[in-house]
Amino acid sequence: MSSSELLGDLASREVAGRVYLRQKTTQRVQNTARSWWFAGLGVAVGWIVWTTGIGRLEMINRGGWSQLRRFWIAAVHPDLSADALSIAGRAALTTLSFAILGTALAVAFGLVGGVIISETWWRRGRKDIRPQWYVVRVLASLPRGVHETVFALLLVNVLGRDPLVGIIALALPFGAVTAKVYGELIDSTARGPYEALRSSGTSRVVALAYAIFPLTGQDIVSYGFYRLECAIRSAVILGMIGAGGLGFELALQFQALRYQQMWTLIYALVLVSAVADMWGSAVRRSGRVRATRWSVAAATGLIVAAAIGLRPDVGRLFSASTRSLVADLARNVWPLRAPRDGWGGLVTRAMDTLTMSLLAIVISSILAFGVAFVAARRPGREGKIRWLTGALSRALLLVVRSIPVPVWALLVLFVVFPGPVPGAVALGIYNFGVLGRLWAEVVENLDRRPVDALASLGAPATSSYLYGTLPLSATRFVSFALYRWEVAARETVVVGVVGAGGLGRLLEQQRAAFDMGGMVATVLALIAVSALVDVISTTSRRVVG
Amino acid sequence: MTVALSLHGVRVVFDADPVLDIEHLSIDRGERVALIGSSGAGKTTLLRLCNGTVVPTQGRVERSVIQTRIGTIYQQLDLVGPLRVVHNVNAGRLGDWSTWTALRSLVRPLGVDAARQALALVGIADKIYMRTDQLSGGEQQRVALARVLVQSPELVLADEPVSSLDPARSVEIMRLLNEVVAVERGRTLVVSLHDFNLAREYCGRVIGLSHGRVVFDCPAAQVTDKMGQELYELA
Repeated sequence: MSSSELLGDLASREVAGRVYLRQKTTQRVQNTARSWWFAGLGVAVGWIVWTTGIGRLEMINRGGWSQLRRFWIAAVHPDLSADALSIAGRAALTTLSFAILGTALAVAFGLVGGVIISETWWRRGRKDIRPQWYVVRVLASLPRGVHETVFALLLVNVLGRDPLVGIIALALPFGAVTAKVYGELIDSTARGPYEALRSSGTSRVVALAYAIFPLTGQDIVSYGFYRLECAIRSAVILGMIGAGGLGFELALQFQALRYQQMWTLIYALVLVSAVADMWGSAVRRSGRVRATRWSVAAATGLIVAAAIGLRPDVGRLFSASTRSLVADLARNVWPLRAPRDGWGGLVTRAMDTLTMSLLAIVISSILAFGVAFVAARRPGREGKIRWLTGALSRALLLVVRSIPVPVWALLVLFVVFPGPVPGAVALGIYNFGVLGRLWAEVVENLDRRPVDALASLGAPATSSYLYGTLPLSATRFVSFALYRWEVAARETVVVGVVGAGGLGRLLEQQRAAFDMGGMVATVLALIAVSALVDVISTTSRRVVG
Repeated sequence: MTVALSLHGVRVVFDADPVLDIEHLSIDRGERVALIGSSGAGKTTLLRLCNGTVVPTQGRVERSVIQTRIGTIYQQLDLVGPLRVVHNVNAGRLGDWSTWTALRSLVRPLGVDAARQALALVGIADKIYMRTDQLSGGEQQRVALARVLVQSPELVLADEPVSSLDPARSVEIMRLLNEVVAVERGRTLVVSLHDFNLAREYCGRVIGLSHGRVVFDCPAAQVTDKMGQELYELA
């Protein structure tokens, strides 16, 4: 070892020592802060759940049980007549077309948006960032706070009844999320090649095309497929409020109380989602260039087919009547109008929405906690009973998350009196399906070694669970639950629209009354609620992290 | 002889630590200069000053070579793995190409002949359509050389191009670097090296750096082993 290396080594050890000491102190401070934060959060959640009156007030409508029972019995004999199947088939194609076109547009938005919200694009030299970056970032994040249903309700006033409404309503929030993810992908790609090109005088567009996109293309494509899986579920929901397809048929059959036909449609939906899921995860897992290319080619074909099938009238975007409607609406937007019961009513509704989302996450966390460990696949051989319970619980989670939130809401409304509680229960059940799967994946991806070590020293299963599995997965459980809370806060609109209360219900009433000023006020309230939820959730995740 | 590049009273400070402090340094066109010094002596910073990716905290750097005619080979090569070799070579010309030409070339490669010629000079013409990340480390180093070659640079900067190579391959790369510069009269080479003997053999002038300062600066023929030993002991 030369003298310089020795000196370097000593210096780095000293630095490491100082860093270690500092970490120890900050850790202690962090631990206290963490306890306080979660104690506070726990009290707040408890209080909010108490205000809903669960367990104190009469809220069960006993008359609805028989209907609910008939619905579940129909699950085992769906209508398989040629007629019902052809309706379901055509409806599934429509839903799929919406999802494909919406995703395609979202990916296009995402590519452009991802570039212009990336730090890479606005970086000047090595450290400086142009100030425009902050503005662009805030602007691009706005559509993320608004659920696609809200966009659909707003757009239908302008564009009239046309597939265009559903496609654009899907593409706006999805595009904003996609842009965020693509921007992060661009920023996390190796900087060296890009900066080498920039330093030799290459423009930003060309440097991106040569040094960033070739390195991150695979991820960009596979995220696009993941968005498609999500888009199918959203397309069903948009269908229920009039865009057509599976959602529309589901709502029709529900009104006629034809449960067997409903189940045909639900199974069609499960099938379509499962196929999209498998395709997407195949693209993600293979990671091969050729497979990705084929998938992109096939997707392009599907986009063309979907466009021919739905025939959205793009001309409407630029027609004179659209322009005059937009101008009309713009005039009516201001001043903002309170709902009929005044601004206080808006605040109450916003509180209802917040309560609904919190209660939903409490419900889904409790349910998911019971199922996630069972649903997680284990490495190696499993006993027959273990295998069977695992498969059954995975199937349960799949069915639960395949039934769209508004359908859950309608079902819950059979037996629970209207208000925030049925909305929360519906959201809670649906998110149980999602959260259960996410948590099961956490358990599957755990570092097994500490747990195995416990088992090898003869600890019984429950002890190694309490000392190994649980503490290892707890932080990730919490952060996934918080993430789902953010999503649930946006989804409250959906249950509101079908009558479960909160801001969503108000929005639907205002739309029916063409009260544009009122709608805008409600949408702003929605954005405020989801921003509040995001702040609390992000802080909590950082505290947990 | 004209000056390719000169530094006047240059100081570079990162996070309050001075990493380079040079009163005066001037490199003529056609010179082949080796920068010698231990890790952290300021070699990379000096090279980055030369191509403008580092801006001096104090003083000024004068260059008679325009930006698109400065070819840099970084230590970590900075090749884009998933791209085919031809695109990585063409990356050297992006400073000259219009945006449209550059994008079109990604779909259907342009300038294939020039790229092939450059690759032939470094001995891997047959790899032109391979994916770059499927090449061996030595071959990737040649791709980086070919990229500089198609740029027809007047100033070539190389940051420790042989630090991770065995002796035989080091000699090969130094020979190729010399060939790249020899293609045209007046091309200048500045290369940072650890190996004292390579520096003396392949460069006309050797600059010894320690703690960001020039310790010696003389023709290669006058450099003695003792000067090298002292340089590393200083550090």
